[in-house]
Parts: sequence; C-alpha cells; structure tokens
Amino acid sequence: MMGRVLLAIGLAVIAAPALAQQTPEQRLDELDQRITRLEDMNQVEKVQRVYGYFVDKGQWTQLSELFADDATLEIGGKGLFLGKKRVLEYMQTAFGADGPKEGLLANHMQFQPIVDIAPDGKTAWVRSRAFVMSVGGWGLPLYEDEFVKQDGVWKFKRESGPFTMYSSWKGWGHDALNNTWPDKFDPPPDLPPTTVYLTYPAYWIVPFHYPNPVTGKPFPVEPVGAYEAPPGTPEQEASLKVGRLADGTQPIAQPPRD
Amino acid sequence: MRRSAIAVLALALAVPAHAQSVEQRIAAYKHRVSLLEDQNAVEDLQATYGYYFDKRLWDQAASLFTPNGSFEYGQRGVYIGQDHIQRAMLLFGPQGLAAGHLNNHMLLQPVITVADDGLSAKARWQGMIMLAESGQNGVWGVGVYENEYAKQRGVWRISKLHFYVTAETDYDAGWTKSAIPMEGPSALFPPDKPPSEVYRAFPGVYIPPFDYKHPVTGKSLADIPQPPDDVVGRK
Repeated sequence: MMGRVLLAIGLAVIAAPALAQQTPEQRLDELDQRITRLEDMNQVEKVQRVYGYFVDKGQWTQLSELFADDATLEIGGKGLFLGKKRVLEYMQTAFGADGPKEGLLANHMQFQPIVDIAPDGKTAWVRSRAFVMSVGGWGLPLYEDEFVKQDGVWKFKRESGPFTMYSSWKGWGHDALNNTWPDKFDPPPDLPPTTVYLTYPAYWIVPFHYPNPVTGKPFPVEPVGAYEAPPGTPEQEASLKVGRLADGTQPIAQPPRD
Repeated sequence: MRRSAIAVLALALAVPAHAQSVEQRIAAYKHRVSLLEDQNAVEDLQATYGYYFDKRLWDQAASLFTPNGSFEYGQRGVYIGQDHIQRAMLLFGPQGLAAGHLNNHMLLQPVITVADDGLSAKARWQGMIMLAESGQNGVWGVGVYENEYAKQRGVWRISKLHFYVTAETDYDAGWTKSAIPMEGPSALFPPDKPPSEVYRAFPGVYIPPFDYKHPVTGKSLADIPQPPDDVVGRK
C-alpha cells in the first residue's frame, strides 16, 4: 500500500511540468481522484475484514448482504455459486442457521491484504488470506477477490478462497486434509470448480491479480504448482488420483501421503 | 471512515465540485486527508499497545490511555484511569516479561471508524494470543477487541479498551479436550466496575456487539440476536 502511494507521488512529481500548466480546478480534480482512491482502498479492506467477522459468528444473512446481486463465490474445491441468494444458501445449508453454536469455534482471521483499485474507480481486487483456528483444527484459505462499487458502495463481486492447507489440531506436521470437492457436502455448486488443484502437501500458486511491484512484470499466466496441468491432459487426470485411496475416496485428517 | 467519506461526498454531490470555489474544495479535501491520517494514527496506536502488552511493559501500555480511559479484559471487570489500568495489568504478571515467558497478543483485522469531527474513533480488532511459561504447557487464545479512541491536543489515545475473550485452550490438548475459562474479578485489586457484559468463553458463544454499521446495507448490527446460554441464563 505504502509502496503504491509512493509510486503515485512519484508519478505526480514526474508529471510536475504538466501540472504547472493546469488550472487550480484541474489540479484539484486530480487530488480528488487520489484521495478517493485511498478511501476506496480502505473501504475494500474493510469489507473483506467485516466478511471475516461475520464468518466467525455465523452471520450468514449479514455476510450475504456484502455481495452484489450477481456476485460469485468459490471456496476450496467446492465449485462456483452464482448470485447473492446462492451465497446465502451455500452458507446456511453447509454450516447451519445464522448464529454461533455452543462448542463450535470457526475463526477466520483476515490479514495481509494487497488492494488495487481499477483506474476508473469502479472495481477493485484484493489478495489476502485468512488464518483459520477452529475446533476442527487449522486452515489457510487465500483470497483473490474482486469488488465492485455500486451507487458509491463497495461490494463483493467475486469471492475466491482456494485452500493452501487444512489440518487437524495436531498440526500440519501430523496430518493434512484434502481439498473439498463439489459433492463433498450439500449444497451442490452451480458450476464445477474453475481450477482443479490440490492442497498441502501439494500446492498451487493462486494467480496474482497484480504485477511484481518492483519489476512491474505480470505474474506468469501458465499454471504453476505441484500436480497442476490443464484440464483434459494426462497429467491433470493423474493429479486427481493423488491423495486418494484405491476406491477413489479422499480420506480426511489422515497423514499426508503422496 | 466510510461515513465521514459519505458525508463529505454528500456535500460534494450537493454542490458539484466545479460549482465550489477553490477554497471550498481545498477545505473539503483537507478534511478527507485528515480523516485518513486519523485512521492510520489509530491503527498505529492500537498496534503499539499490542507490542507493549506482549512484553508486559505495563507503564508504557497504560500511558496510551486517556486520563479517565477504561480497560476491560474478559470477565476481570472494568478499571478506570491510567493508575488503575497499570495495576490491573500487574495482575497478569510483573512489569517486564520474565525469562521463559511468552505473552503475545497479536492484533489484526482492524475495522476503524473515525468520527466525522476527527476527535473520536471506534475499532473492532481480532486478537490472537500465544502464552507460555517455563515448565507449563503453552496456551492458544483468541478474542475480539471493541475499542474507542479520543484525539486530545492532537494526539490519539485509547479511551476504552474492551477485550472479549472468545476461547483459550491448552496448546497440546486443543479445543476438543481443553477449554480454559476466563479469570473473574480480582480479590487482590478489585475493578472499579463489574464486567460490563456477562458471557462465557468457549465452549460458550457470544457476539461482541459490532460498533460499525453494515458496510453495504448501512443498517445497524445492534439487533443481531445473542445465542442462548444456559450457564449465564441468557435465553
């Protein structure tokens, strides 16, 4: 965030000769845009954090209200859910009625956000992560989320939370849970997963929405990660069997196996 | 932050930017930048409290409060004023972290709302706890802060710190085998007021009231129902 603010100031300095010829109104217009951008960055971060606090307390209705009507949701390997209503249905079907449950802890602590606002100020992206501390154990989702500004209000446009690692309370040195899949639990998704990938001990590098901030080069577009290959290829077919038993099932909370 | 931005935005919308004088626009933008700076200052203040608390630098931590600021940790009750706050912190252990101890109270996920006048602010934070003492098992904990801040003579201070413990457990045992209850009010140095809300930590569940409005609908979150709890008699 700081780096990009400095970059913006740097650009302003480079543009200084041009500024001298601008009217005060034009200079104020530019200032307005820069301040708005900072406010937008804060607001987008805030919506992502509020999402986390709603997850912690099972506030699914409030959570679904953070989404635009045509937003999409994809968590783990479960597949795509289309629209705000389906977001609510997913949460309430998979995790129960609104409200925290006695004896249940499912904290999704949100941190490490990288926020970028589109030049037109109408959409934004966040890469961030959650640290899950729950009765079931530990987890690490990584988000690449898109936001849209509608009538001056920032909302989720696309929430994508692929899993890096899930393990029981005994820890990732002891066991690891496989990624989820479309029919692992209800409800079924509207569309299959956009990417097939495996979680720890395998890995998949979630594509970055932003370029390397120093070199300015975009993140390579080809898939990167262990067991990653385009759909339909023998490599990808083989990857589906990794971590599964002979009968095709994926055991939960068993020691990592390759 | 957001509401103040809306207020300024509403002003700007009411009077199209180009219909405003240069002076009016400079004043409006100065205000918006001040609120951004205030938000950063509040974030730094609370993060600094965390770094002091980790190392049991109680004198430093207490100095961050307003003269009649309040401190409430779990069910220990409310302590008011810097002197009482510093003594309340001594109940956690002596000034200065002892060898072999770990007292980390990590602060993340801030949702900060600065009042439009730039003189007060509220924030919700996630608190992650890692505790250790030599010869004992480690402890994992987690909770929520709902804090308030005041800007006095240009300096932000903590006017109210309220840490709601969500859960604490033995590092080796985990939640399925260990749920450490909260400490009650101290008999050695009783609080100035009893706990402002009565609730249990895990396995009980409780929703620390949200200080902010829903960021999309703009509606209050005050009506979210608390889950029932037989032990504390909440229906």
